[in-house]
Amino acid sequence: MTMLAGFALVQAFVILLQGKFLAEGIVHSWNRQSLAGLWMPLGLFALAFTVRQLIVWVRNRIGARFAMTGSAWLQEQLLKHLYALGPAAVAKEGTGNLVTMALDGIPEAENYIELILNKILNMSIIPWVLVAYIWYENWLTGFTLLIMFPIIILFMVILGLAARDKSESQYAGFQKMSNHFIDSLRGLKTLQLMGISRQYANNVYEVSEDYRKQTMGVLRIAMLSTFALDFFTTLSIAVVAVFLGIKLMDGSIPLYPAMVALILAPEYFMPIRDFGTDYHATLNGKNAMAAIWKVIDQPLPTDTKVLPAFDGWQDQDTLSMQHLDFTYNDKRAGIHEADLQFTGPEKVAIIGASGSGKSTLLNLIGGFLQPQSATITVRGTKVPHMTQAAWQDHLSYIPQDPYLFADTIAANIRFYRPSASDGEVRQAAKAAGLSRWIETLPDGYETRIGEGGRGISGGQAQRIALARTLVDTNRSIWLFDEPTAHLDIETEAELKETLVPLFKNRLVIFATHRLHWLNQMDRVIVVDGGRIVAEGTPSELAAHSKPYQALVHEMRGEFNALVEK
Amino acid sequence: MHWWKNEHWVRPDLKRYRWLLFWSLVLGVMTFVFAGALMFTSGFLIDKSATKPLFAAIYVTVVLTRAFGIGRPVFQYVERLTSHNWVLRITSHMRRKLYKVLETDAAFVSEHHQTGDILGLLADDIGHIQNLYLRMIFPTVVGAGLTVIATLLLGWFNWGFALWICFLLLFQILILPWWGLVVERFRKAEQKQLNHDAYVSLTDSVLGLSDWVITHRSQEFLDQSLAAPKKLAASTAKSKRFQWGRDFVGQLLFVLITISMLIWTNLEWTGSQTSANWVGAFVLVVFPLDQAFSGIAQGVGEWPTYRDAIRHLNDLHPVKRKLPKQQPVPTTFKTIQLKQVSFRYTPTDPELITDIDLTLHAGEKMAILGPSGMGKTTLLQLVLGDLTPTTGQVLIDGQDVLTYQQNRTNLFAVLDQSPFLFSTSIINNVRLGNENASDEEVAAALKAVKLDKLIAQLPNGMDSSVEEAGFAFSGGERQRLSLARILLQDAPIVLLDEPTVGLDPITEQALLDTMFSVLKGKTILWVTHHLQGVSQTDRVVFLEDGRLTMNDTPQHLAEQNQRYQNLYALDAGLR
Repeated sequence: MTMLAGFALVQAFVILLQGKFLAEGIVHSWNRQSLAGLWMPLGLFALAFTVRQLIVWVRNRIGARFAMTGSAWLQEQLLKHLYALGPAAVAKEGTGNLVTMALDGIPEAENYIELILNKILNMSIIPWVLVAYIWYENWLTGFTLLIMFPIIILFMVILGLAARDKSESQYAGFQKMSNHFIDSLRGLKTLQLMGISRQYANNVYEVSEDYRKQTMGVLRIAMLSTFALDFFTTLSIAVVAVFLGIKLMDGSIPLYPAMVALILAPEYFMPIRDFGTDYHATLNGKNAMAAIWKVIDQPLPTDTKVLPAFDGWQDQDTLSMQHLDFTYNDKRAGIHEADLQFTGPEKVAIIGASGSGKSTLLNLIGGFLQPQSATITVRGTKVPHMTQAAWQDHLSYIPQDPYLFADTIAANIRFYRPSASDGEVRQAAKAAGLSRWIETLPDGYETRIGEGGRGISGGQAQRIALARTLVDTNRSIWLFDEPTAHLDIETEAELKETLVPLFKNRLVIFATHRLHWLNQMDRVIVVDGGRIVAEGTPSELAAHSKPYQALVHEMRGEFNALVEK
Repeated sequence: MHWWKNEHWVRPDLKRYRWLLFWSLVLGVMTFVFAGALMFTSGFLIDKSATKPLFAAIYVTVVLTRAFGIGRPVFQYVERLTSHNWVLRITSHMRRKLYKVLETDAAFVSEHHQTGDILGLLADDIGHIQNLYLRMIFPTVVGAGLTVIATLLLGWFNWGFALWICFLLLFQILILPWWGLVVERFRKAEQKQLNHDAYVSLTDSVLGLSDWVITHRSQEFLDQSLAAPKKLAASTAKSKRFQWGRDFVGQLLFVLITISMLIWTNLEWTGSQTSANWVGAFVLVVFPLDQAFSGIAQGVGEWPTYRDAIRHLNDLHPVKRKLPKQQPVPTTFKTIQLKQVSFRYTPTDPELITDIDLTLHAGEKMAILGPSGMGKTTLLQLVLGDLTPTTGQVLIDGQDVLTYQQNRTNLFAVLDQSPFLFSTSIINNVRLGNENASDEEVAAALKAVKLDKLIAQLPNGMDSSVEEAGFAFSGGERQRLSLARILLQDAPIVLLDEPTVGLDPITEQALLDTMFSVLKGKTILWVTHHLQGVSQTDRVVFLEDGRLTMNDTPQHLAEQNQRYQNLYALDAGLR
């Protein structure tokens, strides 16, 4: 930073010299002296000019390196934090947002740092050196230029604010219109089904034209600030020229100081003009940086290594969570005063209406969220939350739509245990009921899936996620979050046939809306409004629990008629 | 140059509003002419004043100095507004054009443009073309205009010198940008690829985070997520370094022009004091011109991006379907009949629908079941006429459905898995079903689909936007809103394409109940993924491998068909 400021200072003096020698050259010719005497100022002018450009080049390189290191650090911190904060934080920020932040936000932040380093340094050093020299040569010119500076800034601020007010007052309408086009493309099918897609083309045009008119309205004001900047700059130069002309006529100054002042006057205004041009780019960068910092500033879960490593979930192992409390920052229902206990390999279903807190409960058990308060004991060890490396090493989490990485099928299956052999991958695929399908693919296990790869049906995606878990034999605690919610009934039936035998000897916690899974469960937990309202074996609950009976009755819907028969 | 002849996205727009275009270019040139003139007159003013003339002798120059000083920012301001106005006008045309092209394939637009966000990218392409004009074409034309003016003016005095300056200026607008293009060509392509890779790897990291987190391989996570972004940053840094180098060379050319001016004026303008008074003018005029030329190379450097955008847009072609002569749509009908309908997309693709015969009477409700990917949606598209059967026909009272495509919406209404809600008010969204519906009719439709209470709670009622802050419709509510659309559309045949998939059973049952009650009397063809609600239909067909395998009433199937019984028991939670 100091070095860059030093360079800026040197640059200011070089600019000064450049102006000085140019003025000397012009005065030389004006005095009608020969070419021979011109070479000296000419050479020095060229030298000063070249040195100035070299300094600009060096400063760019240093500044860019600094900005790049800084933004790379930000990017790494952002990802480190995401990793530590986990998927719940991602869900909160929105995946699209985060990808944009990590990809486009970083260059914007980099630009911001670079601009700050260059343009602001320029503005705070160069004009003052120049104006001091001009003042020394001719105080009136110096004075004129000096008072122009705050006037320019004042007008820029006033007009900038006016433009901001104008665009802010129309912001909502503005956003809507600027999104209208992409909205129309995405909704094209709906428009076609409503039979209005053809005439809608004119609507697209009209909204775009309205947008143009409004944009022009805002631009007229927004560009006034650049206008003011330009206006005062050029006017100052014109005024200075006339001033100097009059001074020259009454003979109070010779030509050289007048010429050097005239040459340096545009250089004096250059930094602020540069800054004005890039002002909006700066704003984007500033916002991007603020958004990234907001993620980085979130506190990370601590004490993640309290639980000692263990060998797999054994018959006597218990997880007990008492007085579990968790609240979200927004309107979603959290979990209140929940007591849970899991012992050895058992199969437990969590049921409840949507929004009742099933997923939150699973996220707390998996350690993707941390409770505000709870008394948790795992295998006799007291832990503050389940974000324990030793616990998660045994965990597998299969959501409604498991994520497939942009890679081969084999690599996807190997994800938890990259060292798995080809044989192990095949075995897992077979157990997950995938092998027959994979063998029909031309590239077999090497078929690329995920973004840019082959499309995969919902049922196959579930099976790949399952195979992924099976490859890592350590993972004996399975969490499912409505894995079959959008599968068709026959695919669901087939997947169930594969899954149920695999549940043996594992702790399975299964949040679901589908009643038939309950028949496979040892125990059912019923949640409602973030509280556990019933718990027991399916048959106990069916016989005695009012909340369970009510919920099942409602979930079964019209099938009740059949059951009653 | 061959592709330029067939180019139909940029060329026509250059002709449209050509006066606006002309004036914005003229204003662009004038801005710099005035900027130069300001320094020219100022230089002359000072030189002349130094000879201590009478004030009257410099009076005109003083006035001119002020005029140029004021004129320059005014021209620049007007020029910017004019060029933006022009570009935005063109944008409106391009948007409509893009929309129209995609509209010809409306039924399949999301399937055909699904990977990544191609629709978003196409919209971005229009943005790139805006920049093509603003950053590349305009500055280059202005630079060329200034070169011509400078050459002509200097040529008045000395042709040889004029040509030399012309050469130096042309170097700025031709050679430097060309150099950039040659050097950067591969790097730009590489950056485009890296940007895509970075996007994929970051998406993988963010969406696959729950899998990564439980592996505790944080270092590997970082390495894998950041590999492509880091390469991208390194490549961008190289580009930047090149640009600075190029700018440096540009500046050296510029200093060469200044030096040339100094030497030339010393040789040719020092004959008398009167002519020596012009020295300062000629030298100082050079400086403001620098700004007109310095941005050109940078703008041209983005040409690969612009060219890709132009190519993408030109690669889009309207989809032309051959339809028989269109007929007026009947207001009532007796039967819909599928006669030996088979379908495959192209002769080499597998057959999706094989030899289907099916008759549906007016007022009948039929459920189509079957595993996903087995042609259920294709069957609906055939009935609707979005697809033309490879063999066979879909007939409505004996008339091919393909002849009713013109006013199809009077015959068919469709509710699919993910109805689109436009980011506008609720009332506008519902009114899409029938633009002539009164407010009362919309309100009645919303009441019928049981959204009235929810909407009454919103601050602006039906006029609230569908994405009002802090409020978003749930899956079931979105479907209800689209159901209200369909009610206003009031077509006799309703096609339902898995509208309840992914909903929880309670929401699903409630939606199904509403659906069947408000659609009473309509002919319904309902593709569904499981058996909830099926008992409310008159007939169930199973579609498997493109063939119908069951076709009976739900009661019969429940009593007699083993497979149906099994699925039914599973769905009811009895197995």
